[in-house]
Parts: sequence; C-alpha cells; structure tokens
Amino acid sequence: MARTKQEGRSSLTSSHESSPGLGSPYPWLRSPQSEEGGLQLIELLGECASHVTARCLHSVNTRLEHISYLASPKGTAIQRIASYFIEAFADRMLKGFTGLHKALNSTKISSVSEEILVQKLFYEHCPFLKFAYLITNQAIMEAMEGEKVVHIIDLYPVEPEQWIRLLQALSVRQEGAPHLKITGIHEQNEVLEKMDLQLKEEADRLSIPFQFNPIVSTIENLDIESLGIKTGEALAVISVLQLHSLLAVDEEVVRRNQQSLQQFLETDLNHLFIASASSSTTSELSLSASPKMESFLSSLRRFSPKLMVITEQEANHNGFTLIERVHNAMKFYAALFDCLDSTKSIAPIEQQKVEKMLFGEEIKNIVACDGAERKERHEKLEKWILWLELAGFSRVPFSYNGRVDASTMLQYYSDGYSFTEENGCLVIYWHEIPLFSVSAWSFR
Amino acid sequence: MMSGDSFSVASSIGGFGQEVQNTNPNPNPAAKKKRNLPGTPDPDAEVIALSPKTLMATNRFVCEICNKGFQRDQNLQLHRRGHNLPWKLRQRTNKEVRKKVYICPEKTCVHHDPSRALGDLTGIKKHFSRKHGEKKWKCEKCSKKYAVQSDWKAHSKTCGTREYKCDCGTLFSRKDSFITHRAFCDALADESARLTSLAAANNLNFGNDSMNETVINPQPGLPLGASQFGPGFRPELSGMAINGNSLGVDQQKPRLSLWLNHANSQLNPTDMMANSHLYASSSSTAFPEMVQAVSGNLFGSSSMPNFGNFNNQQFQGFDKSVSTSTNASLSLSAIPHEMKEEGNKGNLVETQSSLYSDTQKKQSKPSMPMSATALLQKAAQMGSTTSNPSSIFGNSFGVMSSSSSNTTTSFNTLNQNRNELHQALQNSKQQAAENFTASGSVDGMLGSSNLSSLTTSTNSFDQLMMQTSGKQSDPVALNNHPGSNAIENSLTRDFLGMGGRESQRPFLAQELAKFASMSSAMGLSQFTGNH
Repeated sequence: MARTKQEGRSSLTSSHESSPGLGSPYPWLRSPQSEEGGLQLIELLGECASHVTARCLHSVNTRLEHISYLASPKGTAIQRIASYFIEAFADRMLKGFTGLHKALNSTKISSVSEEILVQKLFYEHCPFLKFAYLITNQAIMEAMEGEKVVHIIDLYPVEPEQWIRLLQALSVRQEGAPHLKITGIHEQNEVLEKMDLQLKEEADRLSIPFQFNPIVSTIENLDIESLGIKTGEALAVISVLQLHSLLAVDEEVVRRNQQSLQQFLETDLNHLFIASASSSTTSELSLSASPKMESFLSSLRRFSPKLMVITEQEANHNGFTLIERVHNAMKFYAALFDCLDSTKSIAPIEQQKVEKMLFGEEIKNIVACDGAERKERHEKLEKWILWLELAGFSRVPFSYNGRVDASTMLQYYSDGYSFTEENGCLVIYWHEIPLFSVSAWSFR
Repeated sequence: MMSGDSFSVASSIGGFGQEVQNTNPNPNPAAKKKRNLPGTPDPDAEVIALSPKTLMATNRFVCEICNKGFQRDQNLQLHRRGHNLPWKLRQRTNKEVRKKVYICPEKTCVHHDPSRALGDLTGIKKHFSRKHGEKKWKCEKCSKKYAVQSDWKAHSKTCGTREYKCDCGTLFSRKDSFITHRAFCDALADESARLTSLAAANNLNFGNDSMNETVINPQPGLPLGASQFGPGFRPELSGMAINGNSLGVDQQKPRLSLWLNHANSQLNPTDMMANSHLYASSSSTAFPEMVQAVSGNLFGSSSMPNFGNFNNQQFQGFDKSVSTSTNASLSLSAIPHEMKEEGNKGNLVETQSSLYSDTQKKQSKPSMPMSATALLQKAAQMGSTTSNPSSIFGNSFGVMSSSSSNTTTSFNTLNQNRNELHQALQNSKQQAAENFTASGSVDGMLGSSNLSSLTTSTNSFDQLMMQTSGKQSDPVALNNHPGSNAIENSLTRDFLGMGGRESQRPFLAQELAKFASMSSAMGLSQFTGNH
C-alpha cells in the first residue's frame, strides 16, 4: 500500500474514442468485442475493484491502464459499462488526494436542460418510469375513491406526463374530479416551473380544480411541516427512485450514535450487545442508523397519508464493501445498458448521454462515494418492506386493472421486459434480472 | 529424403518420367498452388507406399551421417550443418523435386489404389489415423472421440459454442445441416399430423402395393422426395443425388429397406420424430437417408390417392432399367410443378419458406455481440465451475444467481433465521481465529473483542428474536438476502487479501453483528414509538 506522490501524478485515462484493443502494447488483451474479450474485461474489472479496496494505487493504475484499452463509451455494452466503472474507480482513488480531486472537478458545467433531456430520454426509451407511473396512478385512483380533496406530494417530479395522465383519469371519474393539489419537490426551480405550466394547462383543459405547489429543496432538507398539508385532505406521497437517498449516512455520526445507544440499551436490557464496527457501516441497515429515513417516515406518519407509493431500484447497492457494490452494480447496470441497446429508436448520441449522465453518475456515486455523499443507496425490496413496516406502514395490494395496463404498455417495448408480483409489490424485470420495484403503503 | 526401412518405391503413374510442373502460368510465387480434388492425384506424380510403421513414424527426416531422426526438415538441415560437411554435400541433393503422392497402406481402404492416392504426406498420415487408427483424443464436453489431435482441438474449440437446436430437440453444430433438418423436421411434423388424421379414412394398402412394385431402384427416391420441399433445396439435392450415385451399392440397400419399412408401417408423429433424429445424428450421408425416409413416409401413406398414382409414374420414370418409359423424360424440374398442383404440397412449400425465415432470424442471433447481462452470467458460471480464487465475480455471482430466485419469492421465517444464526455463530466461533489473523486497511473489520462478546450474546439475541416475533404478525426477513453471501465471499477476500479462499462461510462475524444491530433496532422502535 505504499504510494508515492509521483504515482499520484500518473495520468488517469478517461474513456477515449479510439477503437479499443488495437495498437495496445498488451498482446494478452483480447479483442473486447469478442466473447472472450468481454469475459476478460469483467475479470479485469473485478481485479481492479479489489485493488481499489486495498487502496493500492500502483496496482489500480496498472489495471486501469489495461482496461482503458478495452473499455470505450461507444463499444459493446460491456465495453461501455467498463468505461463508466473505471471512471468511478479512478474517481474513488483520486478522492484520497483531496486537492487533486477538487481541482479536477473545479470547472464542471452542469446543464439543467441536459439533465432534463436525459430524464426525458430515459422515460421515453425505457418502460420503467412509465410502469411506475401507471401503477402509481392506478393506486391513487383506487385509494382516492370518494375523496373530494386529494393532495399529492411528489418527491421528485421530472415528467409532467405522469400527472397529466392522472388528471385525465380523474376527469372521467364517476363521482367527478376532486380538487387536486400537487406539491412537487425538486432542487431546480426551472423543472418545477415547467411542470407547473404544463399541469396547469392540462387541468384547465379538463376543468379540474388544480393547484401546484413548488418546493425548491432536497428531500433530506425537506420540512414536511411546511408543506401545507391540511387536515381532511387525502394525502398521497409518491416517491420515484428518491427514497434511497435518505439512507445516506455519515458513518462517523452513526458510530457515535450507536455507542450512545449501546450505553442506553445496556442499562435497560440484559447485556444486549450491539456490534459497533471499528470503522464503517455495520449498522447502515438498521433503522436507527439512518436518522434521515427515520425522521422522514415518522414525520410522514404524523400526517397519516392515505397512500404512499414507492418506486425503487431493486438491487443492493448499499453493501459494506466496494466489491459487493461493484458486483451488484455491474449486474444491475448491465441489464440497464442492455435495455437501452434493445431500444431501436434511440440515437447513439442520446444513448451515450443517458448512459453517461444518468447511469454513469449513479455508478460513480455507488462506487466512488461514501458516507453522506453516497446518495444512491439502492436496497432490495425486502429491506424496504422491513423499514416501512417498522415505521408503521402496511402494504396495499395492487389491483388487477393496473397490472393489465402495465403489461399492455410493456408490449410496446421489447419482450425482454416482464414483471411479477412479489409480496404484494410489483417487480419489473429485464429478462431474469429484477430492476425496479413498486410498492404501495398506507398508514394504519 | 527417403525414410529408412521397408518401403517400396512404386512405379509412377503413367510412367512419363517428367517433372511435375505447376500448371499455373502465373510466375508469381505468391499464387496459390492448384489443388486437385482429393483422391484424384496428378498422373505424373511419383507414388510412394509407406508401411504403417513408417507412416506414423514421428521422425521422418533422418541424418545420413549419424542416423538421428527429426520431425521437420528444417531441423534436420540445422543439425547437418553441425557435422561440418564439405560445402557440396550440405546442399539439397536433388534440385528437381518430383511430386510425390502417397497411398494408404491399409489394403481395404479406397486410397490404397494408386489412382486414388493422396498428395500430401501429412494428409495421408491424418487419413490413416482417422480411418484406421485408434481414437485416442476425446472431447470433454460431448465425449466425441478423435484419432488426430488437430481434429480434436478444432472440435473442442467449437463444441458447444454454436449450437443450433431444432424444436424437436436435436442439436446441430453446423448451420447447413441444421437448416436442412429443420425443413424436414417441421414438414414431417406437419405431414404426420395431417396424415395420421387422414390415414384412418384411406386404404393404406393401395400405396404400399405400389411401393413394393416400384421401389427397387437404385437411389430413385432421392431427387423425387426431396424436391417436394421447395426450390431452395434443389441445388443441394442435385448435389446429393450425385453423391448418392457414387455410393456403393451395399450402402444403398439398407436405406431402401428402411424406406420400405416406413412405407409399410403405420405412421405416427413420434416415429417421424425418432426417424428424423436418427438421420440427423449421423454424418453428412444423413441427408439422402432422411430424404428417402421422408419421401417414403410421404408416399407411404396413400391418404392422397393422387400420391399413389404419382408414385407409379415417378418411380417408373426413375427406373434406370426402364429407359423407354414414358416418364423417363421427367426431369427434376418437372416434378415440383406437378407436385405443386396438388393442393397440399403448396402448404409444405409455404412451410419451407417460413422455416427459412425462421432459421434466418435464429441464425442472426449468435453473430451479434453478447449482451452485457449474458456475459456477466457466463462469467459467473465460469467462476463457479472453475476453482479460480482470483476471479472475484465468479463465486459471488454464482451464489447470487442461485439464491436470487429464493429471495425474491418468499421471506425466511423467523425460526429459520434463528437456526441459521445459531449455526452461523457456531461456525464463526471456529473461524474466528482464522479470520482475525489478517488485519489492516480494508473495509469493515471487527476487532477481536467484539467477537467474544458476540458469542455471549447469543442467548440475549434469541430472546430478542422471540420478543420481536411475538410482537409482529408479518414474517420479517432478517437475513439471507442474496447480498449476504456475496458479502461473505467478498469480505473473505478482503480479509485474506487477493485470492482469498473459496470456502463458503455462512456468516461472518460482521454479518452477525449486522443482524444483531438490526434486531436491536426492531426492539428499539418499540421504544421510539412510545415517544
């Protein structure tokens, strides 16, 4: 684990355009487009991950050098995934040199319009969001039967179509449309404004009394009290791929809390031992170690939401060890990359944008970040069920109608998509790989 | 360069005594040498007959000075340099090389005849091994045996990599044989389905009688039967017909009898399938057999009265002995027209074209690059089958894929959890000593102090579990999500550095700690709820 400053200055390759494998000084590297090459690439990535875990800069550098000849953001699926993973590895290693890391990221331009575009592309070309919206809206319609005032809190509105469809469905409701209030929480005001406009337009067209509440905030900093939830209105909380960010914890803080907790418990129960790891994240999975999640859920509880629909990635990207996260992330994102590949209608440059700005950023967060910085804390459905039940919510089953609509919708995409019901929740698959889960809850 | 003992130099064919020139007028040395058809040697060549021992001798090139043997000529030359020969003798003794052809020493072999000699020594050696030698090389995947190592190598490269599977379950490694089979296979299926339903209503004997009369012809049915299956097959069929011609008489007879058997027996779909399997599994000679069987099957059922008549006509037409038959002039091309006039035949042709498109579609798949998902699954399989400790993704992926099905369907019950945790605690106690030899800068290591307190907490842990199980109605999963095993394995590797052990420990101490804390959290929420 000896590192020298000189090694720190070694050039970190990012994905380059030249065709990989050609002209590489490593004759043992197989052509990455072949099956053997793909398998070799996977193996190299695994080895790199363990070097990164051991924080052996020299080995990581060597491996990244090798892999960079094979990886490319424009090659086969495995090549593209590899390029985002090696970028994440490099980012992680570089975080050890805080000055270098900050300097490299000092001139980043973040374009909101590009982000919006990328979200739109993902929405159009992959059925996952449509699936989630469809199921969500169906659940809302069923839960809000007979309600005169419906208040929806959307934890990250990106796609106006989601609510436009709900408006349309509500307008043909037998008892007439309710008064609909949507509170949207987003960090960028532009997104909220756009949404406001489009939804108001649709609501006017359908003559539905409608109100949009924009809240510029992150979910962690959200003060639910300030959302203006009135008694008597039927509350629905919709979270699409957002809730996991609440699991982000600063390990140090957790450990301190754990220790004080331990003391507390030891006085009360008989020597109940709570293991506190010397470093990280043993108790990341325990509710008490996710204070944000706990406080969010408990404050929600206070308002007794009639419905909460949670869409999450169905994967465990929140493991202790980097290797575990890399494993699972590779499987998960490989499926997502394959999904994009199977879409005929997406242009290559658009696909690259989605892969870089959406998937690549998630991969980078999962691999390179730790602590409070790591927001992409995807967990499997079992964990979500555990936590939500602990917090006092109970599952609401999904009706048949929603499922029929969902399978009809999926038919327009590739037949590699399927979904099943598991424990009263729906999980959508790409071939045999589970990708996203949708679950509905109410507070009893 | 003559090899040592016991060979006889046979006379040259034609006895012209001329040098064999390369008939290619192109003086360009890079031009390809003209290749004769196998088994049809150049008449001017010198025929060499070697004994089996000489043929299979590995050191063909022998130094005349010290009698040392070498596998290659160049090696021999290198060796000869060392003898310090006078300059003249070091050169090749004969500048003019006469083309040599070799005959197979096995008397019963076709290539024993000088007119069927083979032109390459390596070729004759391989031939001798293949046909008359013992098959010492075996493919590990499919246990197919080979006498020649290069054949075996070539096969194992492709074995299992590209397989085409017909709906009836037969596997093929070659695209052409697969396509051929599929056409027949489905056609057979269709035919048999139709015929079995119609057979009851018709008199089979009619067809059989006509069969008995007319069937005794050398390869008559070949072009006939096959040509029903659409234009695409015809070129192959004509090729097949040629091969059929060249087959020995003895080889034809068994097939004819098979044909007859089909004609006489009741058809049912399973037989059809079995037959097609039979034929498909044999080598390239399978095609004419299949065709004959098929035509036999088709004609055998006289559900179409027209067929019967047609049989008579066509068979007579192909009978060589009946050269003056009115139908002798029937050509291959005429047949499909006639056939197509029959309404049912049109169906077959259509089925063929659809089959073609199916196979086109299916064939296009293997040539595309593998999807990332498929590659990862393959890596996982390879990792789990080979004991490769450095393959990080192998074991865990394998574990994950096998356990993923479990976890997504149901939760473990609390009781299961308890038992497993018990066992895990036992195991972890044993392994504790091993675990904690390594230390250092890896993620998530427990101090040794924790472990001892863990073991003592087993009882209280159980108590907690019972408390929580009492209070909650829904079964709650506490462990065995697929990640946990992966954690173990990856943690194992982290503990022990690169190339950790393969052993699957059910739980590491840290996992237990996690569960302990989780359950404590459950207990905690009881408290927090009261705030």
